[in-house]
Amino acid sequence: MAFLKILFDNLRKGPATEAFPFGEAATPDAYRGKVTFDETNCVGCNMCEHVCAGGAIRFSEQEDGLHFLIWHNTCISCGLCAHYCPTKAIKLSNDWHLSHLQEEKYEQVDHAVVPYRHCTSCGERLQPGGPMLHQLAFKGTNPRSQRLMNMCPDCRRKASYSGEAL
Amino acid sequence: MKSFEMPVGPLHVSLEEPMYFRIDVEGEEVAGIEITAGHVHRGIEYLTAKRNIYQNLALIERVCSLCSNSHPQAYCMGLEKIAGIEVPERAQYLRVIADEIKRAASNMFNVAILAHIVGFESLFMHVMEAREIMQDTKETVFGNRMDLAANVIGGVKFDIAEDRIAYVIAQLNRLEPILVKEIIPLYETNSSILSRTRGIGLINRDQCIDYGLMGPVARGSGYAYDVRSAAPYAVYDRLDVDVITYPDGDVWSRAMVRLKEVVEAIRLMRLCLRELPEGPLTSGPLPFIPAGEAITKVEAPRGELIYYLKTDGTDIPARVKWRVPTYMNWDALEVMMVGGRISDIPLIVNSIDPCISCTER
Ligand code: SF4
Ligand code: SF4
Repeated sequence: MAFLKILFDNLRKGPATEAFPFGEAATPDAYRGKVTFDETNCVGCNMCEHVCAGGAIRFSEQEDGLHFLIWHNTCISCGLCAHYCPTKAIKLSNDWHLSHLQEEKYEQVDHAVVPYRHCTSCGERLQPGGPMLHQLAFKGTNPRSQRLMNMCPDCRRKASYSGEAL
Repeated sequence: MKSFEMPVGPLHVSLEEPMYFRIDVEGEEVAGIEITAGHVHRGIEYLTAKRNIYQNLALIERVCSLCSNSHPQAYCMGLEKIAGIEVPERAQYLRVIADEIKRAASNMFNVAILAHIVGFESLFMHVMEAREIMQDTKETVFGNRMDLAANVIGGVKFDIAEDRIAYVIAQLNRLEPILVKEIIPLYETNSSILSRTRGIGLINRDQCIDYGLMGPVARGSGYAYDVRSAAPYAVYDRLDVDVITYPDGDVWSRAMVRLKEVVEAIRLMRLCLRELPEGPLTSGPLPFIPAGEAITKVEAPRGELIYYLKTDGTDIPARVKWRVPTYMNWDALEVMMVGGRISDIPLIVNSIDPCISCTER
């Protein structure tokens, strides 16, 4: 008998389910969905690749830079990459619209190139290092550090010793 | 009376998990039972020694869906013990919240299935709908309905900021009255529930101790063992956990323990949200884990979960081994089932809230 009242109340309240696909499904901001990558902030530390349980992330060193690949179908949305990324270049968006046709299954890949830097003085190839890294390492930049930050260690040493970077 | 042998399983005995029983039946009665395990062995323990400590966080969380927070928690506690890492206070409180929200959802799932097996589908729907409040909360706070991905070595990787605290409390305020005023009274008084669950699947306190039973199964027989109060971890020692017991040791008592534990989980979450101290979420970026060994235990929704860890100074563990409560609870089915009726088998199996994926990993 007690249940009849509950049944009646539930009937009055109407459907408890979301109207999706005919309406929008509420998605919280913190929802762990599709991985996004920002090559301008990546410093090529490879930590995200190291912690990725599924092996969804691949980095390879090529002539033009570090090639980044993410296989969305292999990603389990654990969020470890985003947690351990020092510059938060890799993040999880709340986009969960990942369904696709069977024949497109090998195309669920995003690719980006993180360009190498070149020493502004001698031209030697340097590992990537975006502005975010400097923000993190030195809690901000000044004109001097900005001039020095794109130099190789040797040139940087010379520049600061000779005072030209002052 | 005619006696024969009856196979039950391996699919869909009560949950969508493979269990296989060979049951000796005399007339309507169960005379003996033989349990065959190993249908979902995936070699996860072996895999943990092939992956680094970070990758294992995600792997271990996927051992099972319902206790998916307890596994990484015990695992992180083990590594923290070996490395002597001090987990910040705020992270400790947040870990308790993650633990309790999973317990609430897991227990409600089990009692909902009980109603489903009894054939009371509208009650099943009602409990599942109430549980959905917890699922939505998990999705909003942690980003996923089942896998919270809450723990990292040395802390947690989620936060509950002030506005989120208000949201979680509002969600708890929605769930609690449904649970206390509607669901629990129904399970206490509804004749369809009572007639199918009272006096069925009996096991007494001494038998629980003999079989090493854990969790709501043991507490449903009056054996008040709970890791949260017997060997408190995180900040459980400050929370004064109420260990819920029922004396009768039947299917109904186990369900009642689970329901009351949801109420207790709500209280603990409230308490943690109120006391949540300021501070960092992790002890630092990348821990160094020296060679060592550790044993840790936590109270998973199904009972005591023990982890053994051995490291060798690299970031790939030498050995990770765990013992789950279902292993013992499962064995005790022979006590609970023998003498019972065939038609009660699914109810009795469900009453131990079996987690086969944890047990066979
Ligand atoms: S979310 Fe997890 S599985 Fe996905 S790319 Fe990041 S680390 Fe890998
Ligand atoms: S995305 Fe982040 S973690 Fe991955 S290589 Fe770049 S900086 Fe490192």
